[in-house]
Amino acid sequence: MNDCETIRDQLVAHHEGELGEGERRLVEAHLSACPDCVRDAGLIREALARVETLPVPEPPVGSWQAFEVAVRRRIAGEAPPRPGLWGRLIAPLHGLFLLRPVPALAAATALGLLLAVGLVRTQRSPRDVPPAEVLVFNEDLAIGQNLEVLESLDFLEDIEVLERLDVLQKLDGGRRPRLS
Amino acid sequence: MREPDSEVIQRVLKGETGAFDVLVQQYQQEIYRLAYRMTRNAEDAQDLAQEAFVQAYRSLGSFRGLSRFSTWLYRIAMNLCLNHLKSTARQDPSEVDGNLADQRADSLATLLAGERDRALAEGIEALPPQQKATLTLRVHQGLSHREIAGILDCSEGTAKANYFHAVRALQRKLQAFQKVS
Ligand SMILES: [Zn+2]
Repeated sequence: MNDCETIRDQLVAHHEGELGEGERRLVEAHLSACPDCVRDAGLIREALARVETLPVPEPPVGSWQAFEVAVRRRIAGEAPPRPGLWGRLIAPLHGLFLLRPVPALAAATALGLLLAVGLVRTQRSPRDVPPAEVLVFNEDLAIGQNLEVLESLDFLEDIEVLERLDVLQKLDGGRRPRLS
Repeated sequence: MREPDSEVIQRVLKGETGAFDVLVQQYQQEIYRLAYRMTRNAEDAQDLAQEAFVQAYRSLGSFRGLSRFSTWLYRIAMNLCLNHLKSTARQDPSEVDGNLADQRADSLATLLAGERDRALAEGIEALPPQQKATLTLRVHQGLSHREIAGILDCSEGTAKANYFHAVRALQRKLQAFQKVS
């Protein structure tokens, strides 16, 4: 039955409570009269409940303490991380603005700061600006060019920087003190 | 009360690099489990989880605090897992060690007592990587479709559609299993 297909496509959304009032009523009216769709809805509930409790084995390293030690060992060879430009400018504002999702005003303030520093920086000799910072900084600007994007950034972070990490590290490596 | 992540991060960035241990302690289990759910292989999951922390450490300076640290870390870990799945999918099946595959199947069977759980685990294994990632982030990490879209670099609509497809596929898996048994 065509009706059933339409309803079945909505069963997951119904389970998640994501249907609008009208759609929800339609689905529930259908479920009150269609045992096949009731069975499907039951299977969706069962699948999600089972997925949630599927077991995960302990890590082969043996214990979480051993896992931690392994991470520490791998990190020991890395240069200590330093705050990026964003961190140096914006971190002091965290307490004021950024504990909640970024309001437009705070985003605009941040953008203003970035642009202001950008103007100052572009007037400096290129040799004064470390290459790694230029990359991070350009990225901040690229994001800053679109306020809407900036506003929706409360979960987005600059993975692009991550992806360029090798480049950044090569550029930056000479100036960072290494951990002994 | 636990020290907020943002404060721990500030300590690390000010040179107290040992404070990164606090973040590892806090998130190692979640990240390892996320990697296991993506790979279904404990060795790979362990390597990927450790690599996620190393990458997070390297780029901690670029963490802007606009999201929760955990969300940022999930994104790093998930990228690693998806790349790993891509590279293993490219592997010539004839190169895959048959014994290893058997061992994995055995350990999975021991781990999953119920037949229906086993059917579901197989169903998850068969999902396209993006759907598997969406399902994991939604069910186990409890993230919103919007957060998932941010992590997987797709639209919220795509994240939602991936989730619905994944759940429907698992529902059908249970349904088919019922018919067989
Ligand atoms: Zn029906």
